[in-house]
Order: sequence, then C-alpha cells, then structure tokens
Amino acid sequence: MDRRPLLLAAVLALAVVATTVAVPAMVSARPAYEIPVTAADDPDSLDSAEGEAWTEVPAAGVPLSSAGAAVPGGDDTTVENVRVASARTDERLYVRLSWEDGTRDTGADDVREFPDAVAVQLPANESARPPITMGSTDNPVNVWYWNGANASQELLAGGPGTTTTLTDSELRTAATYDGGRWRVVFSRPLAGASENRTTITGTRDVDVAVAVWNGSNMERSGQKATSEWYYLALGPGPQGPPYEAILWTVAGVAIVLTTLVTIEGVRRTRGE
Amino acid sequence: MSQTGSGEDVRLAEGIDHQVAMVMDLNKCIGCQTCTIACKTNWTDGGGREYMYWNNVETKPGSGYPRDWEEMGGGWDEEGQERTPGDLPESEDYGRPWEFNHEQVMYEGSDEPLRPMDQADWGPNWDEDEGAGEYPNSYYFYLPRICNHCTHPSCVEACPRSALYKREEDGIVLVDQDRCRGYRYCVEGCPYKKVYYNAMKKTSEKCIFCYPRIEGEGPEGEVMAPSCAEDCPPQLRMVGYLDDEEGPIHKLVNEYEVAVRLHPEYRTEPNVYYIPPFAPPQHSESGESVEAERIPRNYLEELFGPAVNEALNTIERERARVERGEESEVMEMLTTTDTADQYRLEVFDE
Repeated sequence: MDRRPLLLAAVLALAVVATTVAVPAMVSARPAYEIPVTAADDPDSLDSAEGEAWTEVPAAGVPLSSAGAAVPGGDDTTVENVRVASARTDERLYVRLSWEDGTRDTGADDVREFPDAVAVQLPANESARPPITMGSTDNPVNVWYWNGANASQELLAGGPGTTTTLTDSELRTAATYDGGRWRVVFSRPLAGASENRTTITGTRDVDVAVAVWNGSNMERSGQKATSEWYYLALGPGPQGPPYEAILWTVAGVAIVLTTLVTIEGVRRTRGE
Repeated sequence: MSQTGSGEDVRLAEGIDHQVAMVMDLNKCIGCQTCTIACKTNWTDGGGREYMYWNNVETKPGSGYPRDWEEMGGGWDEEGQERTPGDLPESEDYGRPWEFNHEQVMYEGSDEPLRPMDQADWGPNWDEDEGAGEYPNSYYFYLPRICNHCTHPSCVEACPRSALYKREEDGIVLVDQDRCRGYRYCVEGCPYKKVYYNAMKKTSEKCIFCYPRIEGEGPEGEVMAPSCAEDCPPQLRMVGYLDDEEGPIHKLVNEYEVAVRLHPEYRTEPNVYYIPPFAPPQHSESGESVEAERIPRNYLEELFGPAVNEALNTIERERARVERGEESEVMEMLTTTDTADQYRLEVFDE
C-alpha cells in the first residue's frame, strides 16, 4: 500500500483533532451562562475598580432586560447589558461589573432624585437555585447592593419586597465612573458563611444574577434591568459540556474513515 | 364593616378595630397657621424635614401645598380597585426653606426689614388670601390639611415593601422607618400628597395623627387630642372615632351627613371630614345682599363632591331652626366649646 494515502489520512486526522481544540475556543470562549473566576494574588489591585489586575481577568457579557415587577414603570428600564468579571484570591471573592450609563447619578437629596445602582444576587444556600425574583421564603438569596448615593449593603431577601440588611457585613465595594461607564467591584471573604450567607468554596460553582438601575430614569425597587441566572465557575470543571468533544471526535473518525474508503475505492477502480 | 345602633353602616377598613377620625369646620378657620406651627415644632423640626408640613393650611381657591397637588394623580380608579399612577412633586412645588437676614437685622444693626434673602418665589400657602371672584364678591376660605388616614389608603398599596401600614387598633397609617427604603412610591401614590420624602434619612415620613398623645404618652399620662386640634384658637376640629355612635364624628358624618370628604373621587376614603364653608351671600355694587351664593357651588363640588350640596342644605335648615329658637343637635355640636364634646378618644379604652 502506498504511504501517501496513509499520510494524508494522518494529516486530516490531526487537523480534526486540532480543530476540536481550537474551534470551540474561537467560536464561544466558554459555555453559556458561565462567568469565569480567575485565580489572582494581588488583592490591593483587585480592590480597585480600575485596578491593573482586572486587565488579566476575562469578563462575560451579560444581557439584561426589565424585571417586569408590578411597580409603576416596572418595564421602563434602560441598561441593556453589563460586563461581569470575577477573580479570587485565597481569602476573598471579587466580582466586578461595568456598564454604560450616560449620566452619573449619585444623589438622593431631592424628592425626584434617584442614584444609579447595581446588585449581585447569590443563593443563600447554593445547593438549590432559588426563584430569580429575589428568592423565596424557604429559599432566600444574598444580595450585594451598591448605589451612588450611599455605602453598599449586604442584604437577605426571601421574595420581592423583603430585602433586609445583614449585620456584620464584610462586603467591600469600590466604584468609578469614567467615560460614560460605571465600574463597581464587590468583594467578600471566602470564609464567613452562615445559615443566611452564601458558602463560597473553590470546589463548586455558585449561581449568580445581576441587576442595574439607572437613576436618571428614576429606576428603583423592582424597576430594574436584570439578568438570568449565571454561575461563577468556582468548581474544578470540566470546562464546557462533554458532548462537544464527543461530537468532534466522532466527526474526526468519520472523516478519516471516509477518506480511507475513498482512496481505497479509487485505487481499486484504477486496478492498482 | 360594623353595624351602628341607628342601623347605618360605618365602613371601616378590613381588620381595623376602630377608626380614628377628625371633622374640621371650615367656617371657623381664620388661617392663623397655629396648627401648622404646633405640628411643625412637635414633629417636623428635625433634619431633612425643613420643607415638610404634615399639617398645612392653604387658601382655596389656590394652588395649595405642594403646588397643584390636585393635578398630580394618585388614588384609585372609578371602581376603587386599580391604583392610578401619580407623580412625584418637584422640590420647588413644596417651596424650599428660605434664608432670612436675621444676622444683619438682629446683630449687625442693619436698617433693612426682616425678609427672606432669596428663593422667595414659592412656598406653602404662597397664594394666601388671593382667592377668586371680583370685588365686591371675591371669595376665599382656608383649608387645613393633614394625612387623611384613609380607609382605603393608596400609599399603603403603593409600597412594594409594605413599609406603610394601617394600625389595627385605630386605623392610623404609619411608615415603618426600618422597612422603608426611600423608593417614594407612596409619595406618588397619595393623591393628597401627604407623604413626604426625607432626603437626609432616605425614608418617607408622614402625619402620625399624634398617636403618642392619643395613647396618653404625655408627661401626665393624659390622653390628648392631636396638637393641631388642641392648639387651634377657634377650635375648629373634632376628634374621635368614626364608629363611636354617641360621638360628634359619627353623628356629623353618618347621621346628619353635614361633614364631607375632600376629593372623594380619589376613592381612598379619607377619615378627615370637613364642614363645608357657608359664606355670606353676594353683595350688589351698593353693598346690599343679593340672592346669590358667594362661593360657587360647582367649585365646592369640585373639592367635596356632590354630597356637599345636601350638607350645605342641611346646615342652612339647622341654622334656620336655631334662628327660630328651636333646638338643633347639629348646631350644638358645631358650636360647643366643651373639649369633652370635641374630643372623645377614650370611649373604646378597656
């Protein structure tokens, strides 16, 4: 048997294997709804919304839509997407959100003045996914809340309209507004879980959803732009659904077999 | 719903034992603002409340406080089921607190009169005594206003956090300061604009019907009527419970129907009632009385709804009885100077 067809088949097989690895990385950087968590060791830089460390952390683009809550103007929201990046050190988990907002609203000093705001929602008990609308009585959520007018708050909620401030919060926030864009960093110690506080370990993913309010549109309460449930990829992987690799492998084997059969068929036709 | 001895229904909010209520006789109001100051110094002299008047007295016809509050929406639809959207007033509509030249006049010997330094272009009762109509038949009257502690309060429904609630024991509407997160839906939702946003505390605040006073929390442990009522020089307010069959409130509101609600079309069912103003008739150029009412009926209907007509007719009949030397329970209740008759706040105490 001539070695050329075998060589060709080998090259094709290699190309398929290379494509299996490269194409998913090019086409979609990560599975849907994943927010990657980067291991980092520069807490001072991560603490700052413009910290250098954040240039090394990939962000997920998260689309938002109105929460549809039953408050006047509940559907009238303006922010359509937010970029969410996350990093962790040995001690703390960091989540940075950034979004476009043409107006910087940081006051609540007038009866018609509302501040820009952002919130991160996590299941209080991460073993079950709570209702997206602020959890429920038997399945509450933690909410990390920041607005432009006052300090951030760590909240517990068991359904719409039930947010209650958690005491002894170790939540830290930092925010900047530059070039028509807010950047807000939340961080919390990995330790310090309790009955009402999300347990964060490096061994399992944690569900997360976000909300953004535009103060100049008088957005507050349930009048907010919200995401679906995403997850912080804190678990060990695998990265992406396994069927993707299986499909590519089957396709590769099929291509190699088809090629070999074709070559053999051509050879026989020629009477070689 | 509770049944009264006279067979009439007194509609109370669901789950409310008794409903505290007030009747204000507009024929007695002299616009002195003593009630306004009594309330202000008692409850709203703290930070962030500079612009707030839980009690105010405005001249009608006039824009009121906050300016044009009657145009801002809120309350319920015609069926009383769906809330109608309301607006948040601008801070200018309330009037910003003015700076005065006290320092120069009091301490620096300035010859200037004492006056506001600037920003004096609007304030509570800015259009005082302007009224409407032409000489010699111009007219106006004063309208004191507090929170109506409504039977069907739209502010309570408007709050997505249930931070506003109607007290079970007496129907007083309060804001839970721990639950309030300053969303201001209650400010939008109240058609009378009697909930206020405290920008310093970032919460809403409102008239509390002086509940510590009616609970006897004063220095002597005495039960007292609200400050606005007790401090009123002409004593135009009666305070008691809507469902106290022997009290003047029940009689004036339910039995004689001479006390009517302000803007009943908002359908929040206020528990503050008004004896409508009964002005002298119009005068001719030569100063003689003519057969025409000074305050147009249609204006009073705009304010108090169609029930104002029968109320004024009844008052006229009762006045005529007194003029003839006959007895009139209505006029007795409206002219008493005995505070035991004006304030009945201990009838349901156990």
